[in-house]
Amino acid sequence: MRGVAAEISSIQAVSVAARQRLGAGHWGLIALAIVAVAVGAAAEAWQVQNGMQGTGLNRPVAWGVLITDFVFWVGIAHSGTLISAVLFLFRAKFRTAVYRVSEAMTVFGVMTAGLFPIIHLGRPWFFYWLFPYPNQRQLWVNFRSPLMWDVFAVSTYFIISATFFWVGMVPDAAALRDSATGGWRRFYALFSVGWRGTAEEWRHYTRSYLFFAALATPLVISVHSVVSWDFAVSILPGWHSTIFPPYFVAGAIFSGVAMVVMLLIPIRKVLHLEGVIKLSNLDLLSRLVLLMSLVVSYSYITEFLLAFYGKPSAERDTLVYRATGDYALLFWLMVLCNCVLPLLLFSKRVRVSPIILMPIMVCVNVGMWLERFVIVVTSLSHDRDPFSWHLYKPHLVEGLITLGSFGWFFLWFLLFLKVLPAISIAELKEEVAHVHSDEEPAHD
Amino acid sequence: MTEENSNWSRRTFLKAVSGTAVVAGCSKGSVPHKLYPYLIPQEEIALGTPAYYRTVCRECSAGCGVTAKTREGRVIKLEGNPEDPIGRGALCARGQASVQRLYSPSRLHGPMERTATGKFAPVSWEAALKRVGETLASMRQKHEGAKLRILTRPEPGSAGAVQRSLLAAVGSASSQRIVFDPLDPASLRDSGRLLFGRNELPAFDLSQARTVVSFGADFLETWLSPVELTRSFSEGRGKTGPERTRLTWVGPRLSATGGSADLWLKARAGSEAVVALGLLRWIVDPVNAVTNLAPEAPELFARLHAFDGSFVEEHSSVTESELEQLGRELATRRPSALLGPGVSSTGRDAATLANAVQLTNYVLGNLNTTVSYGLDPALDPPSAQSAFQALIADMNAGKVSVLVLHHAAVAETLPTQLGFLEALAKVALVVSFADELDASSHGAHLVLPDCHPLESFGDVSVRKGIVALTQPAMRPLEDTRMASEVLLQLGKSLGAAELTPFADFYEYSQSHVAKFAQGPTGGDDTQRGLVQRSALERGGYYAKAVHQPVRLNLGGLPPFQVGGSERKDSLALVPFPTVRYQSTGTASPWLQETPDVTSSVTWRPWVELSILRAKALGVQTGDVVELKTESGVAELPVYIYPKLRDEAVAVPFGAPALLALMPARFDGASGAMLWASAEVALRKTGRREVLARISVTPEPHSGELVKTVSSSQGFALPVLTGREFYPAPEHPVHRWAMAIDLDRCTGCQACVVACYAENNVPVMGPEFVAEGRSMAWLRVQRYFPEEDAGLEFMPMLCQQCGNAPCEPVCPTYATYHTKEGLNAQVYNRCVGTRYCSNNCPYKVRTFNYKDPVFESPLNLQLNPDVTVRSKGVMEKCTFCVQRIRVGENEAKNGNRAVRDGEVVPACAQTCPGHAIVFGDANDVTSRVHALARDPRGYGALSELNTQPAITYLARVREPK
Repeated sequence: MRGVAAEISSIQAVSVAARQRLGAGHWGLIALAIVAVAVGAAAEAWQVQNGMQGTGLNRPVAWGVLITDFVFWVGIAHSGTLISAVLFLFRAKFRTAVYRVSEAMTVFGVMTAGLFPIIHLGRPWFFYWLFPYPNQRQLWVNFRSPLMWDVFAVSTYFIISATFFWVGMVPDAAALRDSATGGWRRFYALFSVGWRGTAEEWRHYTRSYLFFAALATPLVISVHSVVSWDFAVSILPGWHSTIFPPYFVAGAIFSGVAMVVMLLIPIRKVLHLEGVIKLSNLDLLSRLVLLMSLVVSYSYITEFLLAFYGKPSAERDTLVYRATGDYALLFWLMVLCNCVLPLLLFSKRVRVSPIILMPIMVCVNVGMWLERFVIVVTSLSHDRDPFSWHLYKPHLVEGLITLGSFGWFFLWFLLFLKVLPAISIAELKEEVAHVHSDEEPAHD
Repeated sequence: MTEENSNWSRRTFLKAVSGTAVVAGCSKGSVPHKLYPYLIPQEEIALGTPAYYRTVCRECSAGCGVTAKTREGRVIKLEGNPEDPIGRGALCARGQASVQRLYSPSRLHGPMERTATGKFAPVSWEAALKRVGETLASMRQKHEGAKLRILTRPEPGSAGAVQRSLLAAVGSASSQRIVFDPLDPASLRDSGRLLFGRNELPAFDLSQARTVVSFGADFLETWLSPVELTRSFSEGRGKTGPERTRLTWVGPRLSATGGSADLWLKARAGSEAVVALGLLRWIVDPVNAVTNLAPEAPELFARLHAFDGSFVEEHSSVTESELEQLGRELATRRPSALLGPGVSSTGRDAATLANAVQLTNYVLGNLNTTVSYGLDPALDPPSAQSAFQALIADMNAGKVSVLVLHHAAVAETLPTQLGFLEALAKVALVVSFADELDASSHGAHLVLPDCHPLESFGDVSVRKGIVALTQPAMRPLEDTRMASEVLLQLGKSLGAAELTPFADFYEYSQSHVAKFAQGPTGGDDTQRGLVQRSALERGGYYAKAVHQPVRLNLGGLPPFQVGGSERKDSLALVPFPTVRYQSTGTASPWLQETPDVTSSVTWRPWVELSILRAKALGVQTGDVVELKTESGVAELPVYIYPKLRDEAVAVPFGAPALLALMPARFDGASGAMLWASAEVALRKTGRREVLARISVTPEPHSGELVKTVSSSQGFALPVLTGREFYPAPEHPVHRWAMAIDLDRCTGCQACVVACYAENNVPVMGPEFVAEGRSMAWLRVQRYFPEEDAGLEFMPMLCQQCGNAPCEPVCPTYATYHTKEGLNAQVYNRCVGTRYCSNNCPYKVRTFNYKDPVFESPLNLQLNPDVTVRSKGVMEKCTFCVQRIRVGENEAKNGNRAVRDGEVVPACAQTCPGHAIVFGDANDVTSRVHALARDPRGYGALSELNTQPAITYLARVREPK
């Protein structure tokens, strides 16, 4: 009985958290995010007006921080689907406490990532030329280009993950609708598409949720594989490698789960959800992070192994340059963040200590951002022709746009925390019902 | 439509519309962006069709003929005149860029007069000429003709004659006209007088020479006639075996010319004369049994006794075995040509060096074959450079009251120590004919803007029998007048007898060259007009002149003495001119942005230190060091040059700092300015400056990019197996292709500037170049070979790959493969993902990081056949697709196939070494088809299966 009471109180906590008035701190964070978005938008406006001279890009390094940001945010967006869909299919129970946050992170992550392919264009006002739309000039797009595959991979991922996010939200939105008033009521009514909670609806709902999960699962593999093809399909040493798709998927899950943990730790504290998002949840997620760290480390080793296996090659030169050249500091910082620090997670004490977990997860995300930067920049700056080698240093405009992207992501996330429940109320109830069905039937 | 309007006739309507258009066009700022048709068509101007005018390049004294291409009344490009025997259709980087002088934003808009406050204010031509005329008239009246001086660039033709007549009219001596040519190899000229009794410069024909030895003479860059010498030199390149011309470079610094060398004798600065003497001694030494020597050989050997191998090694660091290697080469590979001295080897022993070089040429029998006298017209030989000392002394002593400067960049080229500008202040009236307010003109009282050569008439005798004609290709852009016209009218007003019969300078010039028209007309004066017109159409009178045999006279030759290389522990200042800078005067934007051949530095001067010297001083490339010589102190940023001797410090022309550092020292006999005679001390300042370089890699090795062969057998090319996923592109009619001979490329950068001119490539400025954002579609990559000789040059442009890596990655098909084998770039379809650039292994695509700026009136030069690109768009070499289209259309109009050689991109057109060959690979009779199958041929990075359309012909490196 005590367990039931605890569960029910946590359900209340979630409901309360979803509807409580915005605190000053929350407002402050939102304002901060808006400022960051405004700064980023101003930087982008300057760039549209003046061309890409505000970046540090050059010949040969024609991609830099903006592409790094793109891959980073796609990676962040990755784990949401993994946690919500794959773990759902595997009936992993600990998912309930964390999947809403990670799904939200996914949707907002894709929304952020999707901006970068446009921002990094030389002529962003023509971004729609990347879509195959019928036009009187009979111009078509080049389906051989990995950038074209990106367009479809990212937009598909956004549509599926947003739909999944919304479908999972319908019962909760209905619950919120029932207690909300005024404009909010209409908002939730729209969101819940007339959900009434009948058995028939539940039957359809659970089946469709399963199908959505099945539909979304391949995306876990496909999206980041396609993003990795941006690099792997080229002929640039350091990019042209067959291990890129699994390596990128692992890296994406790695950074994505780390980001989930990074977000959950303050959320459970601030919204008083320690009872729902338990330390055991963090423990399990941390194990996933550890596993992915090992996979990523293995990929790094494989990459070097392949380059050193056989004759001296341009690829070997590039990898030697990566580890010893101008960007060596960043490379070793990346190794520290991605391969060494996560080894601490072997310790159970570390895995259940939010205070220690937080900096580790921040480091993992810094490390994964650096990984993308190192891959993009070191390969480009040292291509086959030594005469054209040139360094790349990020400039202010790129930095401000990156700042803006964090503002954009967190703005959405903070609004989400205010408007929608961070944890699925319906599933919590369901769990309570399952566990205690013999003691007390669970009703809405 | 109202009743009233409907009554408008078609004519009235058109009137109204055109009137509106004119009014709309008059708004400020819109003018350069629109083209308006002429209401009354101009003769010779057909809209959309270029008109060509032959004229001559006046950038240096070589005098290459040029063809000025004009569109709608504006010169848009200069190309070599194929009929001109000097350049034969080629033009150097400097010549290509001279069109930017015409459109220079800093050109004077009209005459300027210095006011009492010291500032310049516009003045009318009438007032300006009145002042000069009255001053000269009163000089003549007071018999003060001795107080007039004319300081001019060499004018071997009517312009010089007018100046002499003017002097005579005022009552001055012709010696009061000082001819200024800073790069004139005066000691070489003087050695002709001393040895052969001919006070003139020899002409060199390297086409037959199997061995060329240059003692610091940068004959592929600035020396004498670089385009001509490059062409004749390259005729012996691109071959294997004994037929190939070998080049040996002697000097402390491997210059751009030395980059083409097969052997580099690293002589200490100032010791070139020692090496030359040692070499001559080795050749005439009976022990070495060199056959077929001139009869004077034993006598020379007696005079050269002291300069044996050990002496040479001690004084120059060139070893006996190196000397012997070169000696044997000269003995066996004949004929040969020895060249020198150049600016960097004009030290204290320059006279000895010149004599030793010419004696060796003589002893080996090169005279009258590769080295000829009697071809220098010697019409306006430069005054001895020591004459400036005299002039400046006279100016300081108040013996000069009127000084006329005529394109004499004295303040920009001569050492500040001479005190020219200070002396200028003591002259009552200084009149400067100039294009802009340059440093020399700043001290003038009147600055009279001259017309650009492309706006002027004139004639230049460049070689015996060759008179190049200057003619205007367009109307003057500004309120300028031809300097010679102004001087002619002044002379007439003073009653100069030789000038009075002529209405204007055009008439004078035509009559001046009339005697050259006599040959073709056979004395029939009725035909003269026709002949003169045809000469204008051809570019000049090109009669074949025969050189005159010379005999050696050792009587006047003083005993050989060397003293320039005694000190071993001091640092020597080695100044060197480049094709970009021959003075410190402002170079055009194209030349400034064109990288220096060896350092790839753009926009600003630098100082070169060896790796060891830089290490000892603790400086990196970009660190500013202070240089101190006997005459001054200056600061320059360092460029670490691996091909420089440790005790040499090299400074390029173009640095005002160099003028401060140079001592005003002249050779006693020839009066030659001793450029390379200063010692320098270095000090680190701790400051850094950005050196905008095209390549920032300190010492790049070419790896697989530049291949070398040692014999005609060629080498193994990568064999690519496996099937293509996509079908190979088809080229049903044409497959445009190129072949570049790396053994002939001298890295001269002429192609680079030609590409800028042809394709509207924007100049980005030093900040952008330093960022790695130069927009050049074509760059000459310079590598340091692992073996210790020369440099490797590789022109890198779009390879127009058959299987282009850039094409599949473009999401919008902005780049695609055409049916003619071109890798097309559709600017309008480009969204700027820049993936194509990333995937290009040659890195030849350039991205517009901002909207290009063509400062008015430089925009008038833009080629209307080529789009000006905007920000956010990728661009690259198109093989000059606009020129291909012209060739194809002409062939179609003539109902024939395109002839081989009919279509030539700008780079191939201007290449002085004829290293670039362009054509249709589908045409089995074309040169490019044959060269693609040459044993030396290979595709750059073809192991990537890019199937480039450019065949590089491997550099030849003979086995030791």
